[in-house]
Amino acid sequence: MKKTCILQDTETPEKTTDLLAAAVRMYGRDGFESHVVLVNAPPATVTGRCHHVIQMTESLAAEDDPRALAEILEILHQTYGFDSILIPATTLGKMIAPRLAWRLKTGLATGVTDITVRDGQLEITRPAGLGTMLETILQEGQGPVIMTIRINAFEYTQKQAVPTRISPYSRPVTVRSTLTRLGVEQNIEPRDIRDFEVLVAGGGGAIRCFPALEPLADALNGAVAASRKLVDLGIAKRNIQVGQSGKTVTPKVYLALGIHGSMQHLAGLRGAASILAVNTSSHAPICRVSDLVVQGDACEFIEKLMGKLMHHPHKNT
Amino acid sequence: MDERSDTPMPMNLICTVKFVPEPDSLTAGPHQLILNPDDACALAFALALKSRDPGIGVEVVSLGPLSVRPHMEDLLRLAVDRGTLIWDPGLKNSDAYVTSRVLSRYIAERPCDCVLTGSHSLDGGSAQVPVQIAESLGLDQMLGVIRIDPDRFDPTRAVFQAVDETGVTTWEMALPGVLSLTRESGYKLPYPTLTDLRREVSEELNILTSRDLGFSADEVGPAGSLTRVSASSPVTYGEKDPEIVGLDDNGITQVVDFLKKKGVGR
Ligand SMILES: Cc1cc2nc3c(=O)[nH]c(=O)nc-3n(C[C@H](O)[C@H](O)[C@H](O)COP(=O)(O)OP(=O)(O)OC[C@H]3O[C@@H](n4cnc5c(N)ncnc54)[C@H](O)[C@@H]3O)c2cc1C
Ligand SMILES: Nc1ncnc2c1ncn2[C@@H]1O[C@H](COP(=O)(O)O)[C@@H](O)[C@H]1O
Repeated sequence: MKKTCILQDTETPEKTTDLLAAAVRMYGRDGFESHVVLVNAPPATVTGRCHHVIQMTESLAAEDDPRALAEILEILHQTYGFDSILIPATTLGKMIAPRLAWRLKTGLATGVTDITVRDGQLEITRPAGLGTMLETILQEGQGPVIMTIRINAFEYTQKQAVPTRISPYSRPVTVRSTLTRLGVEQNIEPRDIRDFEVLVAGGGGAIRCFPALEPLADALNGAVAASRKLVDLGIAKRNIQVGQSGKTVTPKVYLALGIHGSMQHLAGLRGAASILAVNTSSHAPICRVSDLVVQGDACEFIEKLMGKLMHHPHKNT
Repeated sequence: MDERSDTPMPMNLICTVKFVPEPDSLTAGPHQLILNPDDACALAFALALKSRDPGIGVEVVSLGPLSVRPHMEDLLRLAVDRGTLIWDPGLKNSDAYVTSRVLSRYIAERPCDCVLTGSHSLDGGSAQVPVQIAESLGLDQMLGVIRIDPDRFDPTRAVFQAVDETGVTTWEMALPGVLSLTRESGYKLPYPTLTDLRREVSEELNILTSRDLGFSADEVGPAGSLTRVSASSPVTYGEKDPEIVGLDDNGITQVVDFLKKKGVGR
């Protein structure tokens, strides 16, 4: 029986159990024992879904201290001998996993989006090269497999509840970081469109309603992008232009509203995981590379979709 | 030295820099190399600080092939005090772990109050190197830094802002430490002056091998690496056969289901 350790997603605790799906890919549904380390969430978040909850006792360490959390995971590994340690690829996770891998002198695969097993060897997939390439990573040597798992890359659906054992972790930590929060503001700087998993992009067919893209992007937790046409017309800022002379983006979903799909625009879209096009013409080249096409007016589309999202806001699963 | 004993020692900053293929060079053939954008911001911050206080020492260090030599020399033509390029053929195909080991061993021997790095390298890196440099040196580290307060940056501590999922946080961190900037910081490298452009700097670049740093052949390159890239393939971006829906209720419902399946939304 394999043992996998999962660190809680401290940002979105409900997403923690999705990492179980990565373990299922490696070991099969019944091939592993799951140990979930909870930092700032109650056991109820995962009980019935994993075999063992290790609850960090309060005030042991700050919930956002990468050094303390790396030490705790290292000690847990010494106790349980995990085969794999899975860490959400949040900003905090990205600051913990390399420290842990360094301490355990083992390989790290970051931003993992898929895992397959071939002849008993794990093949770990991650996007690379500006998101235009997929790399297959093999681990060399001994030691647990450590991965940071790209958020939303895996989705766990449970077949039946499992009994969950809960134990506290209270061993004092010896390394703490000196990081102190002086203040938090909500985003003051607009974030780079390359950092978003959802982009709502407008082109020549969305000139009339370009400002309406913003609330839609907000509702989808994404950002607004544009084709060069809107940049040249002065309707959109240059830093949100997608394409050959703009940015190469790698969102999970790209909504192309009234964008024709010229070669130069598509050059920036090679890394988009899926594309939804809204266009009055189903013959526009963008449609051929899309996963779903809505034939119709972009502005009307925004209005109708917003209406639906407001009435039935959907939650991530 | 004596008359200065009551003024604080000027700080020494080390910037790790990596040269990466220019993303917009769609042309086939050898890629044009550029300074990784995040690293350019980190170096730009260091140089801006130095222009306020010329006593500050700024060093750039890179692990990379000798072909980046002219690019390193360009950095020396700015106000960079020292440039070091670490390379030997054995380092080829080193993974991030080896890269971190080599860079941190070099940095450990240098006077340094703060290591300034990028957060990500453009060619698919994922911030492993700066975090492991920090771990190896026993230092604190922060990713996603967009602003460093020059008035609260001294050999004992730094106050800075960093972005994460929740927004922008202002942090204080003890120095020495590692700060990893992103291109969102907007720090811009200065242009070299004409005199600087003409300066002959090729003698000034230090070139070190992994052996100079005490590594044996089996500790670097694929032999020393803990991961191996077994294959890489372009993200297929071929023609699809999409379903076409209209703007009626059924169409919009399909859109909502599509988005849900992709796990997007608030
Ligand atoms: C060297 C070079 C570099 C370039 N770099 C870039 C780049 O980086 N990025 C970029 O985007 N372009 C770039 N271009 C320009 C590119 O060639 C196209 O001109 C541009 O992408 C067209 O933008 P568009 O598709 O938004 O607009 P249009 O070509 O005007 O297309 C509008 C689309 O919207 C549809 N439409 C019309 N009305 C509606 C409506 N009411 N509702 C829904 N759909 C509607 C139309 O059917 C059409 O498909 C570059 C060009 C050159 C020469
Ligand atoms: N070969 C290298 N030489 C110098 N610095 C590097 C190298 N690789 C990574 N770095 C630094 O680490 C940062 C993050 O890189 P990565 O871990 O590859 O995403 C970069 O922005 C650089 O500052």
